[in-house]
Amino acid sequence: MNETVVSMTVNGDQRTGNVEPRKILADFLREDCGLTGTHLGCEHGVCGACTIMLDGRATRSCLVFAVQADGSDVTTVEGLAAGDELNPVQEAFRAEHGLQCGFCTPGFVVSATAFLDRNPDPTDDELREGLSGNLCRCTGYQGILRAVRAAAEATKARTA
Amino acid sequence: MKPAPFDYYAPATVDEAVQLLRDAGDEAKVIAGGQSLVPMLNLRLARFEVLVDIGRIDELRRVEQIGEEVVVGATARQCDIEVDGTVAKSVPLLAAATPLIGHFQIRSRGTVGGSIAHADPAAEYPAVALALDAKLDVAAPSRQRTIDANEFFAGTWMTALEDDEILTAVRFPVWPSGSGFAVEEVARRYGDFAIAGAVVGVHVEDGRVARAAVALFGMGSTPLRAAEAEAALVDSAVDQIDAAAIGTAAVVSTEPPDDLHASSGLRQHIGRTVVTRAVTRALQEAQNR
Amino acid sequence: MSTTPVTSAAARYTGQSVHRKEDRRLLTGHGQYVDDVAVAGTLHAAFLRSEVARAAITELDVTAARELPGVVAVFTSQDFDGRFGEAWHTMLGEELQVPPPLAITDVRHVGDPIALVVAESRYIAEDAIELIEVDLDMAEPVVDFATAGADTDHIVHGAWGFPSNNMVEVPFTPLSPDLDAAFKDADNVVECTIRQNRYVCVPMEGRGILASWSAGREELEIVCSTQSVHETRNFFGRYLGIPEGQVRVTARDVGGGFGQKMFMFREEAAIVLASRLLGRPVKWIEDRRENLVAAAHSRNELGTVRMAVDGDNVIQAITVDHIADLGAYPACPAIMNHQLLPGPYKIPRLGFSMAMVWTNTMGKGAYRGPWMFETTAREMAIDHAARKLGVDPVELRRKNLLSLADMPFTSPGGNTFIESTPLETLEQALEILDLDAFRREQAAARSEGRLLGLGVSVYIEPSSMQAPGLASEGATVRVESSGKVVAFFGTTSHGQSVETTMAQIVADQLGVDYDDVTIVQADTQSTPWGPGTGGSRTAVVAGGAAREAALAVREKVLAVAANVLEAAEEDLDIEHGSVVVKGTPTKTVTMRQVAAAAYRDADALPPELSAGLEATARFRPQSFPTWSNATHVCVVEIDRDTCIPKILRYIVSEDCGRMINPQIVEGQIYGGVVQGIGGVVLEDFVYDSDGNPLTTTFVDYLLPTTTEVPEIEVGHLETDSTTNPGGFKGMGEGGAIGSHAAVANAIGDALAPLGIDVLSTPLGPNDIHRLMVEAGAA
Repeated sequence: MNETVVSMTVNGDQRTGNVEPRKILADFLREDCGLTGTHLGCEHGVCGACTIMLDGRATRSCLVFAVQADGSDVTTVEGLAAGDELNPVQEAFRAEHGLQCGFCTPGFVVSATAFLDRNPDPTDDELREGLSGNLCRCTGYQGILRAVRAAAEATKARTA
Repeated sequence: MKPAPFDYYAPATVDEAVQLLRDAGDEAKVIAGGQSLVPMLNLRLARFEVLVDIGRIDELRRVEQIGEEVVVGATARQCDIEVDGTVAKSVPLLAAATPLIGHFQIRSRGTVGGSIAHADPAAEYPAVALALDAKLDVAAPSRQRTIDANEFFAGTWMTALEDDEILTAVRFPVWPSGSGFAVEEVARRYGDFAIAGAVVGVHVEDGRVARAAVALFGMGSTPLRAAEAEAALVDSAVDQIDAAAIGTAAVVSTEPPDDLHASSGLRQHIGRTVVTRAVTRALQEAQNR
Repeated sequence: MSTTPVTSAAARYTGQSVHRKEDRRLLTGHGQYVDDVAVAGTLHAAFLRSEVARAAITELDVTAARELPGVVAVFTSQDFDGRFGEAWHTMLGEELQVPPPLAITDVRHVGDPIALVVAESRYIAEDAIELIEVDLDMAEPVVDFATAGADTDHIVHGAWGFPSNNMVEVPFTPLSPDLDAAFKDADNVVECTIRQNRYVCVPMEGRGILASWSAGREELEIVCSTQSVHETRNFFGRYLGIPEGQVRVTARDVGGGFGQKMFMFREEAAIVLASRLLGRPVKWIEDRRENLVAAAHSRNELGTVRMAVDGDNVIQAITVDHIADLGAYPACPAIMNHQLLPGPYKIPRLGFSMAMVWTNTMGKGAYRGPWMFETTAREMAIDHAARKLGVDPVELRRKNLLSLADMPFTSPGGNTFIESTPLETLEQALEILDLDAFRREQAAARSEGRLLGLGVSVYIEPSSMQAPGLASEGATVRVESSGKVVAFFGTTSHGQSVETTMAQIVADQLGVDYDDVTIVQADTQSTPWGPGTGGSRTAVVAGGAAREAALAVREKVLAVAANVLEAAEEDLDIEHGSVVVKGTPTKTVTMRQVAAAAYRDADALPPELSAGLEATARFRPQSFPTWSNATHVCVVEIDRDTCIPKILRYIVSEDCGRMINPQIVEGQIYGGVVQGIGGVVLEDFVYDSDGNPLTTTFVDYLLPTTTEVPEIEVGHLETDSTTNPGGFKGMGEGGAIGSHAAVANAIGDALAPLGIDVLSTPLGPNDIHRLMVEAGAA
């Protein structure tokens, strides 16, 4: 088996591993880094459960090979909270019942965090479009939409 | 599902990349952003012995205006195009089409060249390239050539590229002021490939259409230029144009595909609608510029 | 069983939208779904599945696959022969055996497992699958369930000696003696055939199992994505012929189920056998394509509904001739409940026939309200009748619906409703809508040629049913030495917030803080037996057990505290985790001190008081089922130029009795509604005429996203249930029961001015365009 060494920063820590070129980044994070918060819901780039931040941009980690991320900076759902303090999106998901079974949640939280980073004051259409790349089967998206609206408001209030 | 094994190379130059392609023959595949290719690999619907990743070739990521052209490197990312000032000013149609590609997490990695070289007939960028008469720069070992967009798309996921060729840049002509552009598409869900879509460019002089480009996507095995619609637009007085008639003219000779999500008839129905809407918006924009 | 009100602390938490106990771990990536569990030495599995619908296996050669480096074993049906015993579920009974895990002589649907590879990684296992050579002798499959019953040339289970494709056939059966007369005397008889498409559960986490057989300990340890750890343990105890005590099943977090994970399937069985034969942990994580193609399917039923309507538009009788597609290997007979066809209406007469047919497609399983075709069929038929009779479908419903004033009411199907509010929910939903304003808006839209429609659907939901094993739930509540509380339940929550709602009840009944209660569930070695989480039963049945166990512990706490405080028990109360003497707030003892007295200093207790602070209760509702009810109202506009239906408003008025946690109630409604919306306008599982599935990825099987769902407006009526002391009514499935017909009826109403009579689903743009073309309107 032709394995190569990959090395990247994950949630601030340097992580190195031997991987086959075909190993997708999500599996590297889950198996080699032990970060199982990144979930695989389809492995063909539609459901968004595996969304992570790759060099600051929300990315499907099932559509990137670990070798392609060599030298990159990765943030997973485990890296969003500051210690015990949830980030504003996580806090809002909790307050607004934005999750039920929780399987899609890491992808939603990462996507929403990345989305609000670039568009802190979205219109309702922008918000719906921004979250439409993640699938949830439990919530009917009602709590999720409320949560991300609330997170935007909370962030605005904090920075105002 | 997990992909089958492959060898992976990430060359630093175009020369290295095309040499790798030549050495591997038809067992090799170029990967840029990978947002179309990796799903196919993961599902084992496609397999290659060698992947040549052109994502680390710096020269392929440039976006710059040179004279009356905007040159977009093949691996310029969609997320960057979306907010690029030069593109917004000089190729507004490219800027307008970009947010309609997939979702923002896909555009984080998806590239301009990747989308065009993948040649999905329902994708936005191939239609934009076709409508704007873009020039496609292509490199092979010790050989370079330019392919006109209207000769590039050969069929579903098929192009004029040879096995050892890489698309290196797309050159979009800059239209003069007094031009208007619009892209319209209908998909079953936001971010899905369109059932049918249209891109339209018009240049208006003294209240008449001096130049028109209408391209359809999702309406055939390649993006299509709607020559009859363009002919009906050119030389017409803007206030005399019946956009719905242009819509009808655009689809009348198409034979769109029939699939799970849309019959051929529905595609024609929607094709007419998106052309009508895009023509209306493009004409408005041209008059306001 | 408890029917008289029991003394309890004032409800501090019940009825409040407290924050969920589950959320912190799930939001920070620390959930533990089956694929997150790492056991040293685990092997990974993949299945070779049939790519054709019906064929004989003429050759199966796994030699090359076995030789691939990294492959540990390749199993075919021969390897499992004689290795397993009984294969049935407590709830379904011995008659419904799970078929042998791998195909033996022939394949009967696309996705039918043929061989199992176990390897060092899933990547390698999939490589090996490609090296298996299989030769098939193709046969013509049975795909169309509407004609399968009459097809005697092609028999799905012909190899098992079955003479027809009808698994069950019931000839027309009048349930009312004067049924014929009602139709003869009716001013109007309306008849239509309603078809409901095949759509599927699609939990975001597919199925999955990690099975570890320890030969030395003779123990099987299973981590499973399941709705019922106890049913899973019962199943595998029987399957391997070992006592259940040697099987431990856990499921820390489960990524949705919706009915699909209620039972064990051939795949889980194969993995358990593989682990037992290899003596090593084996993990199978279903991928999305497998989940779509080869995990239990649902819906896909049709019914010809007839209604006898008198001159006052009173519906005098309703009948259905019903056919349901079971696929090749149904998990359970999850089909329409015929007795429930009259639903929440006063319709006095009923009759039905039914056929459950096998086809060469994926087998049927439960999906949130598995019986719900009664609602789809009735509600779509009522709209059809309204169109035929020229009456407003809202008025037709008002005329015929039951209201609280009609209670108790026994339907011709034999159901007795005690405290149901169908008409009241209709009126509340229409008030939220503002029906008059809508009708004006609709008239204006129609005059402009716009297609704006209103759909209504009213249903009554049998929550907490009395299916075998489902009648009761147990709970054990314990105050630990620290004074903190742990409560153990037989549930297997997979999104229902059971840890939260049960903690709310326990905290209230025991008088402690919500944060001081920990819930343990989904572990067969520590929790009371329970049949599983499903059937909208947790609030009623587990909620009842929580209350009774907590009250029993409360009595114990008071007795011990009385001893410590030297006070009479009846003078004591528990507030915020401390026992206080009523009227003497200074005289108090903390739960920790009570616990110390009950455990460490137990020998100082009087002889009539046993040590410890723990109680177990098993609760059974007073009657079955516990009925909840709701009305759904949907407003749709169809863009004539694109044929895309857009849902503009969606309103639910529901009565689930006393709510434990309104936010969680609404979350359940939202999720179910969107599944029904999906099933009409986006989701459709399609086979071609050769039995090939065409919607095998998320690119073609379209789930709703944030851009397709409306804001859902919810109104509540809280009519207490008398089946349980909490006054709860189950409601987990309702959203998915009512929404299919509400959306279909809205689209039907939008298209009605074009002369289109909508009777079948799905209703995506392609279907709408076809209907418009047929009506000459496109």
